[in-house]
Amino acid sequence: MYDPQPPDVQNDQTVACADARATVVEMADIWKAFDDFQALSGASLELQAGEIHALLGENGAGKTTLSNVLTGIYRPDVGTIRLDGEQRRFHSPAQAIAAGLGMVHQHFRLVEPLTVAENIHLGRPELPRRLSRRRLISETAQAMEQYGLTVNPTARIWQLSIGEQQRVEILRVLLRGARVLILDEPTAVLTPSEATELFAVLRRLAASGRTIVFISHKLHEVLAVSDRVTILRRGMNVATRPAAKMTPEKLAKLMTGTERVMEAPRPSKGRGKPVLELRNVSARGDRGLVSVREASCTVHEGEIVGVAGVSGNGQRELTEIATGLRHPFEGTVAIDGQDLTARLPGDFVSAGVGHVPEDRIGSAIVPSATVVDNAVLRAFRTGELSRAGVMRRGAVRVFTDRLVTAADVQLPDIDVPIANLSGGNQQRFVARREAWAADRLLVAAHPTRGLDVRAADQVREVVLDRRDAGCAVLLVSDDLDELLAVSDRIVVMYEGRIKGDFTAAKARRKEIGYLMGGGDLVGGAGAEAPS
Amino acid sequence: MIRLQRRLRVDRRRSITLRLAGVVISLLVAGVVLQISGSPALMLGRRAVETMTTPYGMEQGLVLATPILLTALAVALGFRMRLWNIGVDGQLYIGALAATGIGLNVNGPTWLMLTLMMVAGAAGGAFWILGPALARAYGRVNEIITTLLMNFVALQVVNWLSLGPWRDSTIPDLSATRRIPYELPILPGTNTVPIGVIAPFLIAAVVFFIFRFTTWGYEVDISGGNARAAEYAGIDVRRRIVSVMCISGAIAGASGAILVAGTTHRLSSTISNQYGFSGFIVAALAAGAIVVLILVGLLVAGLLVAAITLQTLGLSVDAVLALYGLILIGNVVAEVAARYRVVRTTKPPPELQFAPAEALAGAGPQGLSALTAAGSPPESTD
Repeated sequence: MYDPQPPDVQNDQTVACADARATVVEMADIWKAFDDFQALSGASLELQAGEIHALLGENGAGKTTLSNVLTGIYRPDVGTIRLDGEQRRFHSPAQAIAAGLGMVHQHFRLVEPLTVAENIHLGRPELPRRLSRRRLISETAQAMEQYGLTVNPTARIWQLSIGEQQRVEILRVLLRGARVLILDEPTAVLTPSEATELFAVLRRLAASGRTIVFISHKLHEVLAVSDRVTILRRGMNVATRPAAKMTPEKLAKLMTGTERVMEAPRPSKGRGKPVLELRNVSARGDRGLVSVREASCTVHEGEIVGVAGVSGNGQRELTEIATGLRHPFEGTVAIDGQDLTARLPGDFVSAGVGHVPEDRIGSAIVPSATVVDNAVLRAFRTGELSRAGVMRRGAVRVFTDRLVTAADVQLPDIDVPIANLSGGNQQRFVARREAWAADRLLVAAHPTRGLDVRAADQVREVVLDRRDAGCAVLLVSDDLDELLAVSDRIVVMYEGRIKGDFTAAKARRKEIGYLMGGGDLVGGAGAEAPS
Repeated sequence: MIRLQRRLRVDRRRSITLRLAGVVISLLVAGVVLQISGSPALMLGRRAVETMTTPYGMEQGLVLATPILLTALAVALGFRMRLWNIGVDGQLYIGALAATGIGLNVNGPTWLMLTLMMVAGAAGGAFWILGPALARAYGRVNEIITTLLMNFVALQVVNWLSLGPWRDSTIPDLSATRRIPYELPILPGTNTVPIGVIAPFLIAAVVFFIFRFTTWGYEVDISGGNARAAEYAGIDVRRRIVSVMCISGAIAGASGAILVAGTTHRLSSTISNQYGFSGFIVAALAAGAIVVLILVGLLVAGLLVAAITLQTLGLSVDAVLALYGLILIGNVVAEVAARYRVVRTTKPPPELQFAPAEALAGAGPQGLSALTAAGSPPESTD
């Protein structure tokens, strides 16, 4: 049901549940910066006994950083943590767990060759002096019964499914005496039925008085399992709300934000021939699950097509398909009418495709190589930089100098490893390099994520310049404001499908948010959302 | 409290200085051990240096340096892509086998036959690593294990041919093939050094220029630095893996051909005096610097020559090999040490640091700020 209540983005974290419960944890005004990236800017969190509290936000919103601060992995730059009303500071995860704050990480901390029972007892404080295999197993079985988490205690970790490994991890944290259990995107690795089982376990734990913090960006799950939701955005609280009063589209709206007004989009000079044509493309993600389903999309010359959606709905895979890094198992990919389905990334590069990937450090940069070598990563085959397989070293250096200047990158000299540059500088460097490489198509995933306002504007300007030069642009972003500001058309991805196709002028935030939350438009593009 | 902190950037000069220190310390340790076990370490060292500096010793050093440098170059080439070719000895043997096969069974003018033998040697070495290379590129099979195991197969094949079909039956008790009728000429200006000694220097120069000036070298370096970024840049990383491994095998194979054509003249299962092993050490010590590789290769060859003298003085060749092992360990330690620096940190007193959280909670703001006096910004606790 869509509730046409006006959006409300005030900071009202004190909305109490009907039955006022005891506050267990209170984090207030937490600030944390990494190098030049401000991860948390005055975030707060209030947890009550016996509740399941969802922590919702896009990638980079600060969810994981906030929970790492709570569990003693990071120390906040500024801010206070109160546990049962008393102020605490944790210098290590061990201190936090001793105080009853336990975290189940996205990547499990289990010892694969050891058995379940052995893993559960590793580092357990009240470990008996004399250990026997039988005792370990019986204590494990007893604990499993107590918490309703059953796994064969004698199985070795590597033999277990991901869902079972997660149960072991949860059990291990519980046996350390955790009263507050934080789960970082626990369902990201689970099948739907495993996720349902996990939710049942979480509800039982909450019913026994424990507090569960559930980190996610999957809206349906958040609503299905949690009592209250705290929404973070750019390291700040947007709102804390009882889940019962929320809908997926309201959550999507709060996550992607409404308060920031960007300059009016510079209109396109008109679109030309189709450049990128995806037809009924389906592909599997890294875990082998189908991540893109029968997606069709055409991007024309001189046009920016924005891809909106909550992260993890197939956007990354879509950009990889459009650049040849991932091969679809059905459907076709064409650039300028040339069928490039199942061709190598090199063929896409030759076809004039530039790509700012989501994971810049991992896949667009060679950290150990120099700035020079990274500058020519895309263009080294062109006649300007090499002839008959021989690099023109002078031209390469001139090219690098020009790129560094254009990208406004601060560095002492171009022969240092690029790993010495800050993240923001690397990002501007990659964005400019790819804009240069993109003769026909620029595929950009979250090109401004983590940048400060000025740098983000610079990068957006690069993207608009490419479009005005007649290049086609496919732009993926979490930030709906940004998409609305620069896109000429907007499509929405949900569970691997492309839904809706809005011309930017007609796009309405409400409808896009509705599609992002999994809704369906009845009359096709531009239709009013059902009420 | 003192702890190690990782350096952001490893300084080349510091790395080389520490490596040299590693060699010196290894030699000192060896000297002390020898002295304790009753050998006159100083005298042995002096004799070793004397041997290495005579004209004959130097020529022998060059002869030994040829296969060591070539196998080291083969290994170093793999390192550019973070590939470990542990099978250089096997490729050397198969290269020698291929060259011997041509030399014994084909007749022709000497210059043509020697050229053919070299080509056959390189092809044999490349062929021997082709399986591991394809398995690594397309099946992600660890090349360390496959190339290592292929060594043993190569040795058995050579054993079978040199003791069986190709055996020289005219000389009793000789477990080697007939003598190959074609020999590499002697390098002008020397008495015993075959012309093959220039091969490592030529190949080193070619490798240097390839990696400095060609797109292919650039692609290999990028693939070694970050395979995902290489794929993103349109480089076919799997084909680069196969070609780099095959060229590495070809260099090792060519060294086998040079060995039989210039030095041993017969194929047997003992022609490689652990050259691949020495070559591996040299490549590891050089850590990618080609000039360092050549210098270290010559040093190791000199040590091997000295070993002959040392053996006449009662020291076993195993002791010399143990010395190589020590030098390698010293260098690995130096390489790691170059990446870290020692820093002093002021930490809270241990009894507070490890106190249970319950005890800390009662300490109040003063106790807490005392705890975090170092490393934290001032805080507003009230």
